[in-house]
Amino acid sequence: MSWRYLLKKVGGAFLTMAVVVVFNFFLFRIVDRDPLAKYRGRSKLTPEQRETMIRRMGLEGSKWDQFVVYVKSVFRLDFGRSFDSTQPVLEEIKMRLPATLLLVGVSTLLTIFIGLYIGTKAGWRRGSRFDKASTSASMVLYSTPEFFFGMLLLAFVAGRTGWFPTGGLRTVGADHDFVGNILDRLHHLVLPMLTLTLGYLGSYALIMRTSMIETLGEDYLVTARAKGLKDSEVMSRHAVPNALLPSVSLIAISCGYIIGGAITTETVFSYPGLGLATANAIQNNDLPMLQALFMLASAAVILFNLIADIIYAFLDPRVKRVE
Amino acid sequence: MTTPVLQVNELQVSYHAHSGVVPAVRGVDLEIAHGETLGLAGESGCGKSTLALALLRLLPPTTKVTGSILFAGKDILTMRPGEVRAIRWAQASIIFQGAQHVLNPVRTIGRQIDEASETHGMNRSGGVAELLEIVGLGARRAKDYPHELSGGQKQRALIAMALACDPMLIIADEPTTALDVMIQAQILQMLEEIKRERGLSMLFITHDLSVLSQIADRVAIMYAGRVIEVGAGRDLLREFKHPYSIALAASFPVIGDTASRRNPRGLVGDPPSPNDLPSGCAFHPRCSVAIEKCRSTDVVLKSVSKSMDRRVACLHFGGQSD
Amino acid sequence: MKNSDRLIRAMIWDRRRRAFFGVLRELRHDRPGFIGLLLLTFFGLFALAAPLIADRSALLAASGRNNPDLAAPSAKFLFGTDEIGRDVLAQLVWGSRVSLFIGLFATLVAVVIGSVVGLVAGYAKGKVSAVLLAIDDFFLVVPFLPLAIVLAVVLGRSPLTLAIVIGFTSWAGSARLIRAQVLTLRERAYVERAQALGAGSWHVIRRHVLPGVAPLIIANATLIVPVAILTESTLSFLGFGDRLSPSWGKLLDGAQSSGSITINAWWYFLPPGLCIIGIVLAFTMLGRALERIFDPRLRGR
Ligand SMILES: Nc1ncnc2c1ncn2[C@@H]1O[C@H](COP(=O)(O)OP(=O)(O)O)[C@@H](O)[C@H]1O
Ligand SMILES: [Mg+2]
Repeated sequence: MSWRYLLKKVGGAFLTMAVVVVFNFFLFRIVDRDPLAKYRGRSKLTPEQRETMIRRMGLEGSKWDQFVVYVKSVFRLDFGRSFDSTQPVLEEIKMRLPATLLLVGVSTLLTIFIGLYIGTKAGWRRGSRFDKASTSASMVLYSTPEFFFGMLLLAFVAGRTGWFPTGGLRTVGADHDFVGNILDRLHHLVLPMLTLTLGYLGSYALIMRTSMIETLGEDYLVTARAKGLKDSEVMSRHAVPNALLPSVSLIAISCGYIIGGAITTETVFSYPGLGLATANAIQNNDLPMLQALFMLASAAVILFNLIADIIYAFLDPRVKRVE
Repeated sequence: MTTPVLQVNELQVSYHAHSGVVPAVRGVDLEIAHGETLGLAGESGCGKSTLALALLRLLPPTTKVTGSILFAGKDILTMRPGEVRAIRWAQASIIFQGAQHVLNPVRTIGRQIDEASETHGMNRSGGVAELLEIVGLGARRAKDYPHELSGGQKQRALIAMALACDPMLIIADEPTTALDVMIQAQILQMLEEIKRERGLSMLFITHDLSVLSQIADRVAIMYAGRVIEVGAGRDLLREFKHPYSIALAASFPVIGDTASRRNPRGLVGDPPSPNDLPSGCAFHPRCSVAIEKCRSTDVVLKSVSKSMDRRVACLHFGGQSD
Repeated sequence: MKNSDRLIRAMIWDRRRRAFFGVLRELRHDRPGFIGLLLLTFFGLFALAAPLIADRSALLAASGRNNPDLAAPSAKFLFGTDEIGRDVLAQLVWGSRVSLFIGLFATLVAVVIGSVVGLVAGYAKGKVSAVLLAIDDFFLVVPFLPLAIVLAVVLGRSPLTLAIVIGFTSWAGSARLIRAQVLTLRERAYVERAQALGAGSWHVIRRHVLPGVAPLIIANATLIVPVAILTESTLSFLGFGDRLSPSWGKLLDGAQSSGSITINAWWYFLPPGLCIIGIVLAFTMLGRALERIFDPRLRGR
């Protein structure tokens, strides 16, 4: 990987983020003529209250003045105060971020590894019984909204067996030692994580399978077999490294879906992270909160894509020359 | 008489494609002795690559292969998969055409060469470096990826790879086809030397008859999945007997003769598709000396009276028309 | 209209009709595609037959006043009742119309934007193409559920707005695909010839490029519908949409917020969830089959 490549990709990521910031302004300050109308369920504001709000939200002056104020505050990570809790949005986000990072992080890793494994095996043995079974299953998983998985798990696993808690981050009021605390949190994590993983496993498996099948016709696989390599070696050393290439960027884009999926999953399990905060902000028309969450989600996906580009450069030696 | 390095009897290969059964090779007998080079020539699509891949059982699993392929007397078609893998590259290796994607784009040349000897537990003292020197690439190229090599360099890397396990037989499938004339000549020269130094046997496949005089001890001409003429290289290339061989030879420009380059003669029309072969002699629709009987008579290779080794599959020779 | 024009038009229609039946014939030999088509027909009939199965008034809040809340299935209510005593079956059948409408309308929006952007980006050169590609990149990268959420919050929560918002956030992939196809098409001899003969861009696009990409657009659209339906159900689940004309996603929202899961009122949340899975599967299987039929290189996938 060359520095030029890296620089170009990092630059591209910043540019996209800049567009997100501008888009955000456009949407909330120009398309939405009167953001305050949505304040607190449209309860009437007194003229004085309205004045204060306008000043606090930087809605004074020309659109250009507003834009300058807005950009400055974005750089300070100052997203204003939540309409709902009236706390600074940044504080609200900081408080909930760890829970979501844990949930989305673990689920993403699980989804990628399990999905790629299944897809690889199915593609390599195209038409086999494993392929047929896993492809059908992947299609069904793909077709199921993740929150419906959550509801099923809640009703039929948590509800029936009582093995898992039905929601929350940890057992409220329980007095645990350090290890007990961790175990308790993991216990609460299992079902949301399973929901999110099942919800997106299918598309990853299908992507990898397609990629693998495309690789199967390549001449270098014949070369590898001609050299006397075992089937498993041909697959792991020659087919998989090549099949991964087109999957990498698709997978990065799909990470955005998992972030979206966290919104409904956290809602189903009342898991107090950013997803649940998003759902609440929708209910309450909490514009400052939504703007910040949208920018955060975008930043996360842009970062994912940047990482994918870097991984790609490591996987594919040809990148050096293409760029 | 010692057993030949490779003996192929009645080899038939049919692909199973969506469009139906494709008989790509239809009964081929071949024999390659120690240190001998057999040149196999024919238009593209006549089944040369299919034959090459069949020799090491590299065709798709749905392909039907019958007959026998004996390596040092043992039939590879009846071996268990483990035994077949042991034969591959250790006894017979393949030089594919380097212009195609026969090298893995994400592994270095060195690792791809090394992998072959590793698989067969051969630790060469000089290793990859020595092999690369032999083919004139230089040891430093081991760290390069395929896309960093030119066509000619890739071809050299493939030759180095083919030598990795000191095989008895090398199958070269159009190793110089996509290269320009200068490099083509260099590569041929090199192959010739390597072969001579190591006493290798070779099956040299090409669609270009003109390269055979330099390298082949014996020559077989293939048409529509069959060998239609075979004989000692010098003898055969001096005087072709089968009308197809004559036409094939004429269709290549004579070196130095610009007129023939601009105006290739010889073959008219396209080779038949294996799905839809003409009756009788498969060449009869394109043959300038075809007679009525060619339509209906299934011709086989027959010795031509004068020279012992020369055999031709044509009604006009070997008394077949009587 | 001139006679020759009419003749040409008739010929074109004839060719289209034959192409259509050709595709149907091929579908019969593609098992997943055929199953998808059957499922789709089933859901289509289901949606059409809504008035025969239940009266629209059953959706009104008042309709449940005299019924038990969250009652299990019975002879009177085959699928039980919801938290305010409304018939779940009635909501399910009428919901199929809402879900299908939003899914199809959103797809229409996405396909129109995607085709125009893809055709122009593939056909135009230089700056126009570069700008369009940059926009496309943006929409590809930005996480589309959060994007749809902020758009819907600002623009409004009605089903029609939802459909437009979903369409507006789902076109980027098809634009990319169509552009790639246009790029290969314009290399073809007949397009070059038409251009050399001085045909205008619009003429070339309409006569030569569009027919070439049409199969791709159709297959792609069939694959956007299920994603749009899934997005719709997600947005409805999160509170958008109309409780009095509920889509399947909205029903799941009701089931979730009414606590039907805690008391295991499966008749309330299972049917809409299964319907979503069914319709999404149907469109996906059909779309993938169409891809296979239009592009034989994909055979065996
Ligand atoms: N995998 C395959 N499936 C079906 N037909 C094939 C396949 N590979 C090659 N063929 C057909 O078999 C015939 C011989 O091909 P090939 O051996 O590659 O010829 P050559 O190497 O002499 O050019 C051709 O008609 C080709 O179309
Ligand atoms: Mg060939």
